[in-house]
Amino acid sequence: MSKDFLATVMIWLTALLISGFFLYLLTDMLIHGLDRLSWAYLLDAPLDAGRSGGIAPIVTATAILVLIAIIVAAPLGLATAVLLTEFTRQKSHFGRFVERSLDVLASVPSIIFGLFGNAFFCLFLGLGFSLLSGGLTLACMALPILIRSAVEGLRSAPDEYRLAAAALGMTRGAALLHLLLPTAAPALAAGLMLGIGRAGAETAALIFTSGYVDRMPESWFDSGRALSVHIYDLAMNVPGGDASAHAAALVLVLLLFTINSIAMGLTRRWQRGRIHSL
Amino acid sequence: MKKLVTLVLLLVIVGATWLFIPKKAEQASNKPGMERLVLTGSSTVAPLAAEIGRRFEALHSNVRVDVQTGGSSRGINDVRSGLADIGMASRALKENESGLFSFTIATDGIGMIVNRANPVTALDRQQIIDIYTGKITDWQAVGGNADPITVVNKAEGHSTLELFLHHFDLQNSAVKAHVIIGDNQQGIKTVAGNPDAIGYVSIGSAEYEAQHDAAIKLLPLDGVAASVENVQNGAFPLARPLNLVTRSEPAGIIKAFIEFARSRQVDDLVMAQYFVPVAH
Repeated sequence: MSKDFLATVMIWLTALLISGFFLYLLTDMLIHGLDRLSWAYLLDAPLDAGRSGGIAPIVTATAILVLIAIIVAAPLGLATAVLLTEFTRQKSHFGRFVERSLDVLASVPSIIFGLFGNAFFCLFLGLGFSLLSGGLTLACMALPILIRSAVEGLRSAPDEYRLAAAALGMTRGAALLHLLLPTAAPALAAGLMLGIGRAGAETAALIFTSGYVDRMPESWFDSGRALSVHIYDLAMNVPGGDASAHAAALVLVLLLFTINSIAMGLTRRWQRGRIHSL
Repeated sequence: MKKLVTLVLLLVIVGATWLFIPKKAEQASNKPGMERLVLTGSSTVAPLAAEIGRRFEALHSNVRVDVQTGGSSRGINDVRSGLADIGMASRALKENESGLFSFTIATDGIGMIVNRANPVTALDRQQIIDIYTGKITDWQAVGGNADPITVVNKAEGHSTLELFLHHFDLQNSAVKAHVIIGDNQQGIKTVAGNPDAIGYVSIGSAEYEAQHDAAIKLLPLDGVAASVENVQNGAFPLARPLNLVTRSEPAGIIKAFIEFARSRQVDDLVMAQYFVPVAH
C-alpha cells in the first residue's frame, strides 16, 4: 500500500516537475519578452542590430526555410519509409543498412550538417549563402526523423490489413493509399512536427548556410536570418539585445505551438474521414 | 529493366538539377543593375557592418549588402578565396596576411572582467598570466575570497583571444581554461553567473552591461581604467582596430562602401554598438 502511494507520489512529482519546468520557461520568456512584443514588432524590420524594430524579415526567412525543408524532405522521407516497410524485408541487409545509416544521421550534431551544407550547397553547388542552401541543409537534417517516424507508423499498422487488402484484390498501392497511410497518419504527422520543430529551431546548421542577413528576402537565392540565429545573435553577440531576444523566442515558441496544434487537428480529421468511410 | 529505367531517370533528374541551379543562382545575383556586396568575418564587427550596410542600401537602391558572420580568420580566408568582397577582422592584419588591404572603421578595447561580488579590484600583469596558466588557482592568492578561480577563455578563431594572448605573451596551449566561450555577450553572461569567474571581453559591451545591472565589473589593466574613454584617447593598452579587409585596392562599389563606413555619417552607428569611431 505504502509502496503504491510512493509510486503515485513519484509519478505526480515527475509530471509536475516537467510541466513546472515548461511553465517556468514560458513565464520567463513572457516576463522578459512581452514588453517588446506588439504588432509593430511582428511587421517591422529590425533596427540597431535587432535591439529595436521588429522581426518581419526574420519570420519570413524562417518560414521559407522550413517550407523548403519540408517540401524537399517530406516526399523523400515518405517514399523511403514506404520502401523500407512495404517493399523491403525488415531483416534484409539492405534494409538494415539503410536503417543503421538513418540512426547515425539522426544523431549527427547539427553543426556538422551546417559545415556539410556550407561545403556542398553553398560552395560546390554555388548556391552561396541563401535560403535555398539553408532549406536543403535543414531537409537533410529532418530526413532521418521523418523517415524514422514514418517507418514506425507504417509498421504499427497490423499485418491483417495488408492480408485483407490482398485478399480483396487491392493493389499494394491502393492498400497503401487507402489503408496503411491513414492508419499511420498520426505517426506521419508527429514525424512532420518533429521535423518542422527541428528545422524551425535550428541555429548551428543555418548560420553558415542561410546566413546572417536580416533584410526581407527577395528570392530564395537571398541570404536570410532564421529566428533562432537572430535569438542567438541578440543573446550572445549584441549588448542590450536580451529583451528582443526574449520576444523573438516567444514568437518562435508560439509559432511552433500553433503549427503543432494545426497539424494534430488535421491528422485527426483526415484519419477519421479515411478509415471510417471504408 | 524497370529498375534500370528508374535509375537512369533518377540520374537525369539529379544531373539536370545540378546544371540548372548554379545558373539560376548566378542570374539571381546578377540582376541587371543590381550589385551585391558580400561581407564575412568577425562576429564583433558583423552587427555594426550590418547596420552600416542598411544605411548604405538606403543611399544606393541598386546595392545589396550581405553581412555574414563566423570570426575574423574566416573573414580573411573568404576574402582571399574570393567568397567575400570584403572581410571583417576585429584585429590588425598579421605579417603572413600581407598583400591584403585593411581599413579601420572603429576601435574597441579588451578588458578583464570579474563578477561584481568579487572583492578583487585590480590584478597586475603577472597575476593575470599566472591565473591563465594555472599557477594561481585560488582567489585568495590575489587578495580575494578563498574560492577556486574559474578561468574563462575565448574559442580559437576569435581575434579577442589572439590579442589577449599577444598582450600577455601567452601561448593558447599554455592556458588552463575551465570555460571556452564564443561571443562577447556569452563571456559577460558566464562571468555574471559565476562569482569566481574571470574573463576578458570587449570594453564597450562590458561597460554597457555593467551599467545595465549585469553582475560584472571591469578591472584596470596596467593601472589604466578599462573605459571607452581611455580607449578613445589611446591610454588603454589592450585595444584593437575593427577592420574591413579587401584582396585588392578597393574600387567601385567596394570603395564607396569602405569610404562610407569610415565617414562621419556612421559615427552614431559605431557608438550605438559601443565602439569608438575613427578620427576623421
